[in-house]
Formats: sequence, C-alpha cells, structure tokens
Amino acid sequence: MKKHIAYLFLAFALFSSQVILAQEGFRKTAPAPFPAPKIQLGNSVQTVLPNGLKVIVVENHKLPRVSFQLFIDQPIRLEGEVAGVSDIAGQLLKSGTKTRTKAQIDEAIDFIGANLSTSSSGIFAGSLTKHKDKLLDIMVDVLFNPAFPTAEFDKVKKQTLSGLSAGKDNPNFISNNVTRTLRYGKNHPYGELTTEKTVDKITVDQCKKFYQTYFKPNISYLIIVGDIKPVEAQALALKYFGKWAKGVIPTATFPQPKAPQQTEVDFVNKDGAVQSVVSITYPLDLKPGSPDEIKADLMNSILGSGSVGRLFKNLREDKGYTYGAYSSLGSSKEVGSFSADASVRNVVTDSSVTEFLKELNLLRDQKVSAYELSSTKADLAGSFARSLESPQTIAGFALNIARYKLPKDYYQTYLQKIAAVTEADVLAMAQKYLQPNQARIIVVGNQDEVAAKLAKFGKVNFFDNYGNPLTAPAPVTSDVNGDQIIENYLTALGGREKLGAVKDVILTLGASVQGQNIEMKMTQKAPNMLNQTVSMSGMTLMESRYDGVKASVSQMGQKQKLEGKDAAPVADQATMFPELNYAKNGYKVTPKGVEDVNGQPTYKLLIESPGGSKSTDFFDKKSGLKVKSLQTIEQAGQSVTTVNEYSDFKAVAGVLFPYKITTVGAMPFPLELIVKSIEVNKGVDEALFKVE
Amino acid sequence: MRFRSLSLFFLAFLPLWLNAQMNPIKFERYKLPNGLTVILHEDHSTPIVVVSVLYHVGTKNEKPGLSGFAHFFEHLLFEGSDNIGRGEFDKYLKAAGGTNNAYTMQDRTYYYETVPSNQLPLALWLESERMLHAKVDAKGVETQRQVVKEERRQRTDNQPYGKIVEEIMSRAFKVHPYKTTPIGSMADLDAAKESDYVNFYHDFYLPDNAVLTLAGDLTPAQIKPIIEKYFASIPKSSKPIFRPTVVEPPLSQEVRDTVYDKVQLPAVIAAYRSPAENSDDYYAMTMLNTILAEGQSSRIYKSIVDEQQLAVAAGSFSFPLEDPGITIVFGISNMGVDPQKLENAINAQIEKVKTELISENEFQKLRNQIESNLVNKNASLDGIAQNLAVFETHYGDANLINTEINKYLKVTREDLQRVAKKYFDKNNRVLLYWLPKAQ
Repeated sequence: MKKHIAYLFLAFALFSSQVILAQEGFRKTAPAPFPAPKIQLGNSVQTVLPNGLKVIVVENHKLPRVSFQLFIDQPIRLEGEVAGVSDIAGQLLKSGTKTRTKAQIDEAIDFIGANLSTSSSGIFAGSLTKHKDKLLDIMVDVLFNPAFPTAEFDKVKKQTLSGLSAGKDNPNFISNNVTRTLRYGKNHPYGELTTEKTVDKITVDQCKKFYQTYFKPNISYLIIVGDIKPVEAQALALKYFGKWAKGVIPTATFPQPKAPQQTEVDFVNKDGAVQSVVSITYPLDLKPGSPDEIKADLMNSILGSGSVGRLFKNLREDKGYTYGAYSSLGSSKEVGSFSADASVRNVVTDSSVTEFLKELNLLRDQKVSAYELSSTKADLAGSFARSLESPQTIAGFALNIARYKLPKDYYQTYLQKIAAVTEADVLAMAQKYLQPNQARIIVVGNQDEVAAKLAKFGKVNFFDNYGNPLTAPAPVTSDVNGDQIIENYLTALGGREKLGAVKDVILTLGASVQGQNIEMKMTQKAPNMLNQTVSMSGMTLMESRYDGVKASVSQMGQKQKLEGKDAAPVADQATMFPELNYAKNGYKVTPKGVEDVNGQPTYKLLIESPGGSKSTDFFDKKSGLKVKSLQTIEQAGQSVTTVNEYSDFKAVAGVLFPYKITTVGAMPFPLELIVKSIEVNKGVDEALFKVE
Repeated sequence: MRFRSLSLFFLAFLPLWLNAQMNPIKFERYKLPNGLTVILHEDHSTPIVVVSVLYHVGTKNEKPGLSGFAHFFEHLLFEGSDNIGRGEFDKYLKAAGGTNNAYTMQDRTYYYETVPSNQLPLALWLESERMLHAKVDAKGVETQRQVVKEERRQRTDNQPYGKIVEEIMSRAFKVHPYKTTPIGSMADLDAAKESDYVNFYHDFYLPDNAVLTLAGDLTPAQIKPIIEKYFASIPKSSKPIFRPTVVEPPLSQEVRDTVYDKVQLPAVIAAYRSPAENSDDYYAMTMLNTILAEGQSSRIYKSIVDEQQLAVAAGSFSFPLEDPGITIVFGISNMGVDPQKLENAINAQIEKVKTELISENEFQKLRNQIESNLVNKNASLDGIAQNLAVFETHYGDANLINTEINKYLKVTREDLQRVAKKYFDKNNRVLLYWLPKAQ
C-alpha cells in the first residue's frame, strides 16, 4: 500500500509537469484584492399604527414575492404548572378558525403556492406579490379568529408529549434542559421547563387565555419584506391590522440569574452512556448594542466558532476527543450566557474539561496573534456581507434597532467596529466574559465511569434529567451485604416459600405508542420456559420462545433460531425469580453503594451471571423491592443499554408483582407498560414454548 | 409547438403568468478559445460574488469498477495545487471572508465560492489552480478516503432509510451507469490505481468540459481580462470527452423486493422509470409530483398522512437526470400499519391521477405552486449561478432560467393524465418494502 501511494505521488507530479508551459509567474501567489467595496445596507421604513402596531417595511423588487411577519414581543413570564402552553397555543393558531377548518386553511394556502406558519411569538406568511391580498385574508383570519378545535388540540398535545418522551433518552435533550434550569434557575422564565407533567395539565382554555392575553398590537411588529412599495405596505397594514384592539399586557420582573461563586461540576447520570455531553456555562450580563457586544463576539469567534476556532482545533484536530467543540456567547435584553460544548468519549471526559479550561485561561492570559485577529475579522466581515443578500436580514436589523433601542447606525457602522478591535480589546473581553473559575461544568454521562474523575474541577453535584438535585451517591460501606439485600428482596416479594410455589405465570401488559396500543404477553413456566409476544392492533409484531435449551425469535415474518450463547438474551428472561438461586447457580453479587432512584435511596448491586451477562439492580432501602434494573449489551459493535423501572407493586397469590414498568433504551422511544392481568398457576400448555 | 398548445382556456390565465416574468435574469455568455464557457450575471445589490465551476462529469462517466470516483475526486480537488499547499484552499477563503463547497451528482460536479466582491480575483485564482494543476499527495488521498468512508457511514449506512436510493437504482438499472449512486463503493475506492487518478483528472477536468459562472457584484469589463488571464492558457482536451451512450432497456415487469434495515417504521417505496430532465414529459412528471405530495393539502399528504394516518411521512419526487431516470413515490408507515395497507393507499392515489383528469381548480392550484417554486429558485445569487450553469450544461441553454416556465405552461391537464398513464405503470416500477431488521 505504501509503495502504491508513493507512485501515486510521482504520477501526479509528472502530470503537472506536462502543463508546465502554462505555469506563468503570476500563478504562483494569490492575487491582491480589489479595493474594499462600500457596503450599503438596504433601507427600511418604520411607522406605527394607531393601535400601537409597529410596521417595518423593507422594499426589494428583485423577485415578485412578499412576506409578512407578525412578531409579538411578549414580556418574559413564568408559565408555572402549565409550562409549554404558549407553544401549543401557537401551533394551534393555523389549525382552524371560526369559518375555516384546518383542511380549508391548508388548501387555501397551497392554492396560491404560499406558506404560512404560526408559533407562540407570531405568524409568518409569504407568497408571490399578486396573491398578497388572499394571503393576508387568511393570515388575519388565523390571527383574529382562531377556533382552537379540540380534536386538533388533542393531536398537537399528543405530538408534544411523544416528542418529550422521545427526548428522555437523548443526552443532548437532557443536557439542554438541565443547562437551562441550572444556569438561570427554576424561578426565571429562561430556566422554566416544559415537561410531560406540565403538558398534561394544559387545556384548550389555557391556550385561548394565552392568546387573548398576549396577542396584542401594542407589543407587536409587522415586518413586510419584498416586492412592495412602503406606501402600499403601510396601507395594507392599516387595512388588515388597523382594527386589532390594543390591550394591557401583564409584566413581571425576575431576579438576575448569577454565576456560581466558584466552579462546580453538575452531573446527570445517563445509564450506559459511552459519550459525555459536556457544557461549561454560566449566565452573564451582556446587552444587545452594548459597547462590548461586537468585541466580545469577536473574542468568542476566536475561541470557539466553527472549524477554525481554538476549541475545535485543540479538542478535535489535535486531540481527537470529539467530532466538534464550540463555544457561544449570547447577548440578551434579559440575561446573556456563555457556553462551551462538546460530546466526548467517556475516558477523555475529564481531559476534555481540562482542555476547555486551558483554552479559556489561555485567552484570558495571552494576547491573540495579529494573524488570528485579522483572519477572524475577515471571516466576520465576510459573513456580515453575505448575510446582506437577503432582505430579511435588513428587516432583522430594523427590528433589533427598534426592540433594543440601538443607535440608528448600529449596523451601518458594524464593519468599522469590527475593524477597530485590537488584540488588547480581545484580551480585555476574555478577562471580562470568560470565567473558568465561576462556571458550571454540566456533564450528562455515565456516572460509574466518569463522575469520580471530575472532582478535581470542583464540588460534584448530582441532578436528575430536569435539574432537580439528588443526594450524592454514597460509597460502599462494609455493613452492606449483597446476599442479605437479595434475601430481603425475596422476603419483600412474599418469601422463598411462596415464590417457590409459583409454577407458571401469564403476564399481560399494555402500552401506548404514538396513539397505537401495544400488547405484550409473557408466559413463563418453571423452571425456565418462556413465550413472549408483542402485538399491535391484533397483529403480532414479535414472538420469542425459550424451551429451556434453545430459543427462537420471529419478527416481521422473519424467524431466527438461537442456540447456545446466542440464546442467552432470551434465556435470561425465562427464569421467573432468578434471585432464588443466585448462590446455587454461581451468580456474583457486588454492592456498588447507595443511590437515589426517583428521590428514594436504594442499594445498588452489580449482578454477574456465570455466563458473563451483567445487570445493575437497585433495591429500595425501605421496602427492599427491586425498583430499577439496567443491562448493557454489545450489539454489532455498539452498546445498547436498557433501563427498566418498576413500581406500583401488588400481590397476586401472595407474591408482589410490579404493575407499572417503564423501559428506556430497548426501543427508540421510552415505553410505559401497565399490567392488565397476572395469572398464576393456571396450568400452561408446553406447546407454547416449543422451538422449531 | 409552444403556440399551438395555447388553448383558449389557457389564454385566460396568460396575464397572470406574464406577471411572474417581470424580472428577467440578465446574463452574458461567451466562450474562451480553449472551450471554457463563461457566464456573467451582474447584480450590484450586495457586495458579494458567487464563483462556480461546473464540470460536466459525474457518476455517469465512471468506468466500471471505479464507482464513487467522481465524488471522491471532488474531495481530492480541495487538497491543493502546484501553488496551493495542502489544506490552504479553505484557509485562503476564510481569511478573505468567503465560504466554499462542492457536490457531485450523476451528471455533474459543482464547485462554488461566495466571496466579498473585492476578493473575486482570489476565487478565480483558486478555481484556475484546480482546473490547471491540482495536486494530491499520499496523505491527502488517504485522508480523503477516510473522510469519504465517514461520509458514507454518516449519510448512507447509519442513516435510517439512507440506502433507499442505492437499493432502488441497482434494481431499476442494469446496464446504465445510473445503477450506482455518487457515494459509490468503498471497495472500488480502495482498489483504485494511480493511473486511475491521473486519467480521471486528465479526461474530465478540462476547460472545454466546464462552465465558469460569476454572479453578483461584478463589472464585466473589469473582470473579463482577469478571467482571460487565469483560464485562457489552460489546455483544452486532446481527445473526445467520454460520454456513455448506453440505453437502459425497459424494465418490462415490476421488480418487487424487501430490504431489511435498522429502522423502526416500515416504508413503502415505488420507483418508476421516468423521462430525462430535458424532455417535455419531465415537466409533466414534476407537476404530478406536486399534485401528489407538495404541501399539506396535496393528495397523498392529505389522504394518507393527515386523514387516514397510515403514514408519518410521504413524498413524491423525480431525479433531474440527463438520461431517463427515476421518480420515487414513498411513504413511511405509522406505528402498527401493515405496509401492504400503505402500498394500497399509495397505489390508489397513483391510479387516480391515471384514470381521472384533474379538475380545473386543482390544475390552477398546481400552476400557482409551480410558479411560486420557480420564483423561489432564483432567490439567491447561489441559486442563480447554479441554475445558469446547469441549464447551460444539461440543456445547452442558460436562458431557460427565464423561459423554463413556458415548458410548464405547455403541459395540459390531458398531458398530466397521459404522462401518468405512460410512466406510472406497474411494469415500469421497482417496489420495495423497507422493513425493520430483527435484532
């Protein structure tokens, strides 16, 4: 291979020499640029309607199309136990009005080749110029007469819930939630989270109330962009939006979120994770239009913007810890933020944090090079120039100037301000806005493999998926005896005698997935036979069997027979109460300390079967019951972790069974299984377990 | 031909359509003596310029056993040149405030930069270096081989449904090079010899096989001499450029198959062999796609996704290809929906466009949607540069950017039905069930 490559190199060089005649001298170096162009920003025109609606018009006749964006600049607020209500209400706006069904709105929009979208903060609509009246007609119908139909509400709510449910398993989603809550605090609107619990509480009436309270012209902007004269645009604004009645909008103030006194590690356990999501973050005070904003943005670009930032170069190109490492520094009217982020392998999690902090400190301690400064300036200036191609950018500038009360020439002078930034400015910005000693190092990852090594960066605190504090896991103490915990568990279930008397069990469970009902039936017969089916709407999706020796799995018309080691995943489930014979069958039980599960302290045990499969089980300290179990299996080079949680225990034939099981990881979405029936010792036909 | 199809019905709508053409895109087109086609579009509204070079070479031109080569070559041509060190392509652009990228398709390879307009000479220099004497060293070849493999993993192998096009094309075509997709085979890339690299560059990266397009803040009188300086002395081809002439025979009967993949929801994919992009029937086919699946009120979306909830997603689209290609109609089934049921629902919608003439009202909606799409196609300099280059190369007429609408105007309701009948034929399709793989 090496040799082959060497030839290749030669071949290419040879090829070049064939065209050496064309190698004129001017080709050797990059040509000098023309004189810098004068950057002209497009104009915008602003007026205010009598009802307080501010109208911004950007005229641009390049294409025969026009867009209307209504932006409701709502004051920040807490939504409390119905967090998420505004998002659902926003989506519902285009799902029906007093005179149009959703299907009619869709048809009317498609008929003119237009688009219309709605959200909690307003409505966007665009079409060819000639259809603008029809478009506005639908847009204001959606704005003034939304019907919030119950059927559509149910649909949107269901979609929201399944989205949240799917996110439970996603470490980035978890990190995002926890970061917001911890950075801003739960009592600040920025830190408030939409959860399944809050979405459950949302009603149609609350959606209507949100809409009625906040959709008012006096806090809104109508931004009209495209093939239209300002005079005509203003006339249309008056015609369609002039009758919109103003209102009094409730406002509230919130305490300013603060960075921690000293750097701390905030850890969220993600069972079985092979990567850690690392985020170094804190709130800061940086307002849009403040004298620091542009300088600080440039400083952050050097640190962590795209593939030329220092973080990317260090953590990816040099160390290979990650696919990408970036930072962001955001200004905000309320409270700004800094964050440096990467997803990194478990074993380099602490090294990555070290490198992050090193880069932050380096920028605080040393001036950047002249080349780094000038190429970053060119990059920012180029991206500013490119952004000007879209008239929407000009409208965005006008909106920012109005919202944040920026000087009128804020964007006209943007390039001059970029050009004026010095190495000393960058240093000053880094010292002011990079705070490696007052940061939260938020890590979502594998607690067993990662957490302990992070203690060198600060106190390690533990949180659940929503940023609620957990008690730190306690280390193993000598008074904890694994065998005793297993024995207590067996006693809690009903005792060895009662458990031993169970000869067969038929367990029927139900779950709902995206509106479809799944049924799972598990039949077990002593000592170790199993039949398990999963069906949906009467159709069997999967059946697995174990006859005590071999197993079979059929799925979607494919049947596979499994023997020996391959049969182990099925065989493991076939024994009804494997704990009864742990000692006899050579299982190894190792205590791993005390940890909270859903706020309750549990004993954590590592169970290793003689066949080599591992399971980590959690036994409630008080009740002795097994409340959680996690298994990691290697599959085609990837490890898959399944986490089951058990609750709602009820007795059948003197033995406790969990009536609710949630399982995460086995499927692409978390599943909540509810027991429909449990039948014990009914006598089961052995044909059920036959493997052919 | 164009005027004969102007029925009375159609004349009634003429004013509306004329309206849409109020801003023709002006451009100048000329050839250098070495055969390089140059297209200039002057627009001073923003101080940026897009520079692109379209090479008329794609997957289609690959020799057997070298599948994926055109795309691999696109990666290699960012490595450097006699005068540009390894990795410096991007660095030059970044420091000039520009961006760049490229893509490879069945029929073409396209490179482009967007730069502040005063950096136009830099972009021309970079592209001329790529055309004249690109250089790749051993490390570059190895690195890009790995990058392309990662790209394949990320976009094809590890992407749910990522292999659909590959599985369709390999069944729909047996002799035409469209049977492979641009990402190609990793084994072929590993097996490539040094002469393959040299030959591919030599055979296709030639001025008379390329279109250089500049769009944006430029003055032709100022920029023409610079184009001349950098490109005129690049030698032209010394032999005819290889263009495959193989014609794929008709399928003659339905090809049905099942593919198992790491997906959660089954999909049903019906792929019909369909007309080449510059044929009249292609325009009708594009319009059929819009009727079936563009917008929430489109037939398939409304019936199958929204009302019957048989699918979570559905679509219909044609590949714009120089030779006759493929149109794919697909649905990803909802949880617990039998793929057969989904197939029946898709078949029903396809039968409907074959057996029923679409209503005048729906026809008008369709024309409105097409018109809107055509306007939006030219919303950026990027889009304009690309459209000019593609129309020039594939259709031999850059001015289609202004007149393409007439091709759609010619299509009648009867044409739609005729084309649906001709191509949406069971014996002209590959039908795949894409099913979850057992663990």
